[in-house]
Amino acid sequence: MCPLVTVRRHGNAGRSRKCASRYNGPPLALLADMRIVTLLLLLASLAVPCAVARAQEPEPAEGTRIESAEVSGFAIDQLSPGLQRDIESLKGERFERDRINRLVERIEEEHPEVVAAVRTVSRPDDQVRVIFLIARISDDGDLVSNINARYTVESVEIQGVPEGTISQSLRDRLQRLVGGRLDTEADDLIDELRAERPGYDVSRRIQRGTKPGQIRVVFEFSETERLRWIPFIRSRSRYVYHSEQGWSGVHDIPMGGRYNRATVGFAFSNSDDLVEEYSGFRVRFESRRVGTERVGLSLEVSRFNNTFREPTLTALSANPAIPEPYRTRLTVEPIGTVALTRQVRVFGGVSFSNLVALSHSPDSQMASTVIGGLAYTQRWDLDSKSRSNVDAGYEIRSSALDSDLSYRRHFGHASYRYDHDDNTVIASVFLGRVTGNAPLFERFSLGDTSTLRGWNKFDIAPAGGDHVFHQSLEYRFHNVGLFLDAGSVWDTGTDKRIRTSTGFGILGDNFFLTLAFPINEGGANGTFMVGVRF
Amino acid sequence: MSPALVHDMRARLAFITVVVALSPLALVAQSFDVRVVADTLQLRGSGLGLIEGRVADHLRDGRSVRADFELTLLEKPRGSAIAHGQYGFIVSYDLWEQRFAVTRVGAPPRSISHLTARNAEGWCLESMTLPLATLGRFAHDVPFWIRVDYRVLDRAPAPNPEEDSAFGLRTLIDALSRRRQDEPPGRSLEAGPFRVGH
Repeated sequence: MCPLVTVRRHGNAGRSRKCASRYNGPPLALLADMRIVTLLLLLASLAVPCAVARAQEPEPAEGTRIESAEVSGFAIDQLSPGLQRDIESLKGERFERDRINRLVERIEEEHPEVVAAVRTVSRPDDQVRVIFLIARISDDGDLVSNINARYTVESVEIQGVPEGTISQSLRDRLQRLVGGRLDTEADDLIDELRAERPGYDVSRRIQRGTKPGQIRVVFEFSETERLRWIPFIRSRSRYVYHSEQGWSGVHDIPMGGRYNRATVGFAFSNSDDLVEEYSGFRVRFESRRVGTERVGLSLEVSRFNNTFREPTLTALSANPAIPEPYRTRLTVEPIGTVALTRQVRVFGGVSFSNLVALSHSPDSQMASTVIGGLAYTQRWDLDSKSRSNVDAGYEIRSSALDSDLSYRRHFGHASYRYDHDDNTVIASVFLGRVTGNAPLFERFSLGDTSTLRGWNKFDIAPAGGDHVFHQSLEYRFHNVGLFLDAGSVWDTGTDKRIRTSTGFGILGDNFFLTLAFPINEGGANGTFMVGVRF
Repeated sequence: MSPALVHDMRARLAFITVVVALSPLALVAQSFDVRVVADTLQLRGSGLGLIEGRVADHLRDGRSVRADFELTLLEKPRGSAIAHGQYGFIVSYDLWEQRFAVTRVGAPPRSISHLTARNAEGWCLESMTLPLATLGRFAHDVPFWIRVDYRVLDRAPAPNPEEDSAFGLRTLIDALSRRRQDEPPGRSLEAGPFRVGH
């Protein structure tokens, strides 16, 4: 039992009215309930002078003469005769904290539907007035929400993130909870904390304070998806339109929970990332806790029907060194991942692709590789308004396991993103190299809705290239932005021509609508692109 | 509960009795009992398993939970429903008293504090009543079964959507899959046969 509690302070009368507005009964019935109105008025009339008295004077000293003892907010005749008598007998007695507290305990024991607290008001001639404030729990929305709302907040703490990453204004508001009751304001602050620190869940925990009747409020930040040891493979879903290349669609449907996920994906005439156009499906299973959260496994099986556009077929016929095109591609790819730290992961696995020849069906070739690589993800929350992210990785695929096509593919990428308020800067670079006879889906291309925007891949390298280099710089303000892309894709022994492009438009994380222009080309033909990625 | 109300209930109980017939099958897990108070059927008992494990930890961290109950009267085990009612409770744990407080939401709300976990569960059960008038012939010496389903919501804000899933279908699917994974604790209890006798 709490020895002594302090229930109200300045402004709590107003809170009580607010609580009444959240009363679950019909509003008209509430207004008609004079008991509640009376209680609110009573508490309102008592709270302010009592709080003022508390602010000006310390607790009465032990032994102070009690001028009067009253019960407020509750009809005294509802208390047992013995308890009534003991309260009334305080008059003229010496103030003893323990005795008062025992009476509070007895009130709550007799009437578990109420909470009781004591107010003392100093009177002239070294006397003190003792008031037992009693409130029905069900009449107070804050108490209904949490019985600990009866206690005074002793301190407010933030755990899980450095305090400095929360804005000063929000920290000030958190500190204003101290000295008051736990009310809905504390719940509202959770939403605001979450808004300031996306990537974290925020919850509120309450602990006992250092003194009876006081509580510590702890706002805990816990990491969400972005900071897990092993993230799930990001969705490749997109529906995009490129004025030179037409529509492409990929739709991933993930299902599962925190550690295991199955993704069913479909491709609809997708030509946005490779020189081939493919339609079909893929199924991927991922587990990112295999014994420990640092170890994950994934298995992807995909089957696509492939078509090749005329420029690609023409380019292929002109270059017999490139392996022949295929009509279907069936791939099985198991991968294991180990997180060395939360930022660094290594992965390895194998990939088996069966390619049914386009012109000699049902002849087929196997493209089997061993895969290895390293991934790095880091995020810095610089302050409440600024954050930056780095993603980088390197992957090598090397043919093995009786592959019909012998090749090795290296690919490295890095991107940096800086967000400040509504401003975003994104810089990215990637480069890759293939040696040997790599199948078409392993060759590089540029000139789509995300690389060398403004160029058409079927003009640049319709059969792709075995080398690639690309960099991009993008600035966004309120999702309106402009970009500058530069890159080159080429085959060994051919000219390495650097192309650049620029453009502007709506550049959101999930939606884009842009007009882009090649820079170092004779004409000024614009390319229109629109789409969603999610 | 005020002494006057307790006295009134006892007086009514003197006139109306509830015959609880325990079949051997029901002996397995009879978590609750029924009685008639003021022309309503009221549950009685404890052992709902509501304030245990994760929920109890959550409460002891000073958080509150909402428990939504559904009470269904059945004509036979897993049979069709005769009547049902829905009830909501908010439970919190007084950190200094080290006792639980419960409020039955609705009009009018009723609250109680200073309860042990077992008593808090019992109070929830007692607060779930069904008017005898809704039971039809089952209010007259015809056996019936009772099922109590409940689901606990921790009243914590929903987790943030993932960074890359703020759009449409993906968000929906993620939300659905999270709900499956983080299924709120809940339970379904069935007991009987009971019989209301006069």
